[in-house]
Amino acid sequence: MFSKPTTEQLLAGIAEQLRTTVMAEIQTEPTKILLQQIDQILVGCSRRAAHEVAFVHEEAARVAAVTGKDVGAPASLHLDDVVEWYHHVSTVLADEVEAAFASGDQTRIDAVRRVLEERSAVEMQILGALDLVGRG
Amino acid sequence: MHNVEEMPSRIAKYLSKVEPSWKNVEVTSYEVMTGGYSRLLARAEIRHAGGTEVLVLRGDPPKDRQLIETSRRQEYELLRVVGDHGVRTPRALHFDETGEHLGTPTIILEFSKCQSFMPYVAAGGSLDGLDVRLAEAIASYQAIPLEKLPASIERPANWDAYMTKRIDGWRQASHRHVESLPIFHYVAEWLDAHRPPEAPLVLMHGDFQGANVMISGDGHFEMIDWELAGIGDPREDMGYFKAVAQAMPPDLLDDARVEAFCARYRELTGLNELQVNPATIAYFLVLGVVGTVEQLMQGGAKWAMGENHLFTSVFNMSSVLFGQSMWMSALSQLSEPMKQLAAAAKGGK
Repeated sequence: MFSKPTTEQLLAGIAEQLRTTVMAEIQTEPTKILLQQIDQILVGCSRRAAHEVAFVHEEAARVAAVTGKDVGAPASLHLDDVVEWYHHVSTVLADEVEAAFASGDQTRIDAVRRVLEERSAVEMQILGALDLVGRG
Repeated sequence: MHNVEEMPSRIAKYLSKVEPSWKNVEVTSYEVMTGGYSRLLARAEIRHAGGTEVLVLRGDPPKDRQLIETSRRQEYELLRVVGDHGVRTPRALHFDETGEHLGTPTIILEFSKCQSFMPYVAAGGSLDGLDVRLAEAIASYQAIPLEKLPASIERPANWDAYMTKRIDGWRQASHRHVESLPIFHYVAEWLDAHRPPEAPLVLMHGDFQGANVMISGDGHFEMIDWELAGIGDPREDMGYFKAVAQAMPPDLLDDARVEAFCARYRELTGLNELQVNPATIAYFLVLGVVGTVEQLMQGGAKWAMGENHLFTSVFNMSSVLFGQSMWMSALSQLSEPMKQLAAAAKGGK
């Protein structure tokens, strides 16, 4: 396979073409809004494609550390296997959230909160700025 | 409703049937409107022997293009009730429940003469005094006695039961999604551990945000889009308004305005300072969005499973991602104020 341009570059390039060339040809307001939404999603996909497998593994390591549990590994690096494994890792983290609050141990609650804040920070890195086009 | 060739004759025929006093009905203009995320919207100008009318049609999209599923019948009945109680909202005039006449279940409303709030803000409209007007708008529909609301609206047994179910909505949203959402579990556990002082249940709008309010020439708010309305805590719509304003300013409940808002609202409703204050509003900034979040996540899940093809379902998941960051931050800041409120409420008993 050709690895370059990367998926990140290709998706960002498609988004740019839609924004700079296709948008000017669009006449109807609902379609313009749809194209703006597609642009935002494509840019997010570009960022995500570059890092998502690494992001998932990095978060899994944090979950293993905070829970003290072996979270295992994906069956392969194909995305379907990675995503299935990530669901398992997320379930372990959700269980730890509930256990931490049930225990009333503030140190334990703070530890799990920090893992969730890092998860959220990654999500925001992928999302970038939020523009709710079409509302109002 | 998007068939601009066919709709004018359908509308004319339907109006001739439901408005027998209108003779020689003719649709002189029909255009699809933007802004409705979940429903189809269109504007129609009507001429008849007795004069002219401007109407808005609000109908269901096809099943596989529905972002969220709500009842048009309940929305229509509620619109009639809030209109009858003097709440500022466009009056609902007719309802084609089966879609037999208009092609899809459709409510026909008066066209509002008010300006949409977000374009008003974008054009540099003054925000002076709107915090107080916002309190008056919320208090206006919350004053409707619950027994007057449509029978189809769920009646919670009491405030505690309502809060328990609402908080659990976060866990259920995670369980029902296509993947586990641990931040939702954290939000649920935190909200449960920091419940605010009780307040009487009221009618809530359910999607009370800048995009769903309009502003009149004399500076009052008019509410639209009641499809997510229900019975809930009086502070939910306030928190929801503030939550959406974080992504779509202005925030009329920011630090500079929230005290004036609370004072006016307490004056109108008789609730006290332990019940309505910046901290309890911030608590509902998180809890108040759960209904919408559930709907948005279900839409995203259906798209992931190939059961819906509405791209907006994917786009709206970005709002939830943004929200997760906001909720985590808000909850961290709220822990101490909520503990102090709980202590004060306990001391007062």
